[in-house]
Amino acid sequence: MIFDAAVDGQTHRVEVTGSKGRYTVAVDGRPLEVDWREVGGPFVSLLVGGRSHHVALEPRPGGYRVLVDNHDFAVDVLETTRDAVLAPRGPAGPARLVAPMPGRIVRVLAEPGQEVEAGQGLVVMEAMKMENELRSPRAGRVVEVHARELQTVETGFLLVVVE
Amino acid sequence: MSERIFRKILVANRGEIAVRVIRACREMGIVSVAVFSEADRAARHVRLADEAWPIGPPRAADSYLRIDRVIDAARASGADAVHPGYGFLAENAGFARACEEAGLVFIGPRSQTIALVGEKTSARRLAVAAGLPVVPGTLEPLVDDAAIRREAERIGFPLMLKAAAGGGGKGLRLVASAAELVSAAGRARSEARSAFGDDRVYVEKALVRPRHVEIQVMADHHGNVVHLFERECSIQRRHQKVVEETPSPLLTPDLRARMGMLAVALVRKSGYVNAGTLEFLMDESREPYFLEMNTRLQVEHPVTELVTGVDLVKLQIGIAQGEPLPFAQADLVQRGHAIECRVYAEDPDAGFLPCPGRILALRVPGGPGIRDDSGVEEGDEVPSYYDPLVSKLVAWGEDRASAIARMRRAVREYKVLGIKTTLPFFERVLRHPDFLAGRIDTSFVERLGREKQAEEERPWAVAAAAAAIGALARRRAARTTPGAGPAPSAWRREGRREGMGGRG
Repeated sequence: MIFDAAVDGQTHRVEVTGSKGRYTVAVDGRPLEVDWREVGGPFVSLLVGGRSHHVALEPRPGGYRVLVDNHDFAVDVLETTRDAVLAPRGPAGPARLVAPMPGRIVRVLAEPGQEVEAGQGLVVMEAMKMENELRSPRAGRVVEVHARELQTVETGFLLVVVE
Repeated sequence: MSERIFRKILVANRGEIAVRVIRACREMGIVSVAVFSEADRAARHVRLADEAWPIGPPRAADSYLRIDRVIDAARASGADAVHPGYGFLAENAGFARACEEAGLVFIGPRSQTIALVGEKTSARRLAVAAGLPVVPGTLEPLVDDAAIRREAERIGFPLMLKAAAGGGGKGLRLVASAAELVSAAGRARSEARSAFGDDRVYVEKALVRPRHVEIQVMADHHGNVVHLFERECSIQRRHQKVVEETPSPLLTPDLRARMGMLAVALVRKSGYVNAGTLEFLMDESREPYFLEMNTRLQVEHPVTELVTGVDLVKLQIGIAQGEPLPFAQADLVQRGHAIECRVYAEDPDAGFLPCPGRILALRVPGGPGIRDDSGVEEGDEVPSYYDPLVSKLVAWGEDRASAIARMRRAVREYKVLGIKTTLPFFERVLRHPDFLAGRIDTSFVERLGREKQAEEERPWAVAAAAAAIGALARRRAARTTPGAGPAPSAWRREGRREGMGGRG
């Protein structure tokens, strides 16, 4: 994804690729290899080309307050391309809803046997202090619910299966 | 005075100082009683205390400043003694008297001493009687230029001309030299005449770039008085201290001993008991002038504790129990150097505007030589009703340079989210050449604000990268399927591109 990130009065083009804690981030075309590890609450340990940074991200209108070591930044983040990540497509079959990032389950909205519409909310997760509703990838019947309320889950944790 | 042992102490305060006193009580095996306003029901001092009593609505005037309610809580809880902390009722002679009348030991000086010493003009008279220097000047109104010139020559330049009937900065003139005196006097008098209908002025020595140095004293009920050296408190904003240290880089051993003797003299003269602090202003010639006395524990008492090894709060309690001081002046030494930074919930980039709110996340530094006296924990609210002091970060080192280096290290480790704090401001102070050289006076913060300080290299690219990854993760977490409804075709195309390994 490509963002315009405004920091310290300048706007930079930031392109992010990767997942699961390993990212390549091109800032104004200069690539940074970023190892990203969430360490509780808003805190993240970043290794950027061998340099260790203790980072915290606090959502604010338009972006984040970012603490990098002893420095305090207000970063406005604007997406320059629409985010559209396809969930499992193709032939009908069981669709697995997994945790897209580490976080805490706030509410479970589905129960086994329930008929759901595509896009219907199944689980509400809290991550980075934000609540995110995770929706059903397809219409069908809920066959498995592994998410439990107040449970802390890692990226990729299987939450719900819809068939 | 006969000794008695306290079983239970009521702490008539909130925030970090209530936590500080409650901790001392616990270490001494004394039951602690907190009081709290409705805004502080779940505050840290309530959580740490053995007992807690409500004393009213959030506004301090309706709770922490209500003598009757605090006394009622002390009686109802069966407390033997009351520790007032600082602020609120700590220097209120009426409160100390109310405690005395209720049969409660007030942990501090007697009520009549608070009245005598706490009031500035009577303290100044007392100081003069005890042989302390006060800012030289005349309080006799001067009616003509000849009298002004005579007084000016006696006091010396630079000096201040002040309207005798004055206030609010009107009729106030700083006079640098004798050459300016006549015209300045004319302007001061005409300004005073138009503002107050009275053109009499008086003369006071002007302290150029004054420094603020204070002396900690302790006195018991048996006539023993000691001083615990000085604290340098020149780093102030809005006349409020933000960074304090001891020893002062300004004092020589001789000057330190002399100021300590002066402080002890005033304490003896006034029959003062328990902890107190004498504030002095110093000019560039290092001449100390008595300013006022604080009849309580100071906010910045931890720096003294770290270099002397004395627990001032426990000592206060011991003295209030009638115990003699456990040491003599000759037993006290300053070991190493200590600095305190006051972490306020304020935005230093917005003129130190208070910034109350909930602390979303908190990481407190530790390791060698670091002490954090905090009134909050993660998840706590910093209410808008009270002083926004969140915590006092204190560093000790073998000498000033290592204490500063250690404090910088600790400030770097300290993370507060949810509110703005003065931590970034300390970054600037702690690497400023004038601070490092000990060239500090009460105008330092103002100068710092005006200066364009050479910025450290800021890792803005890391910040931008972190924000972008955060935004990406957030969007992925909230993503929906394109099948979930009508989606613009461009959106589908982008999605397919990423799905095929393209860079979306």
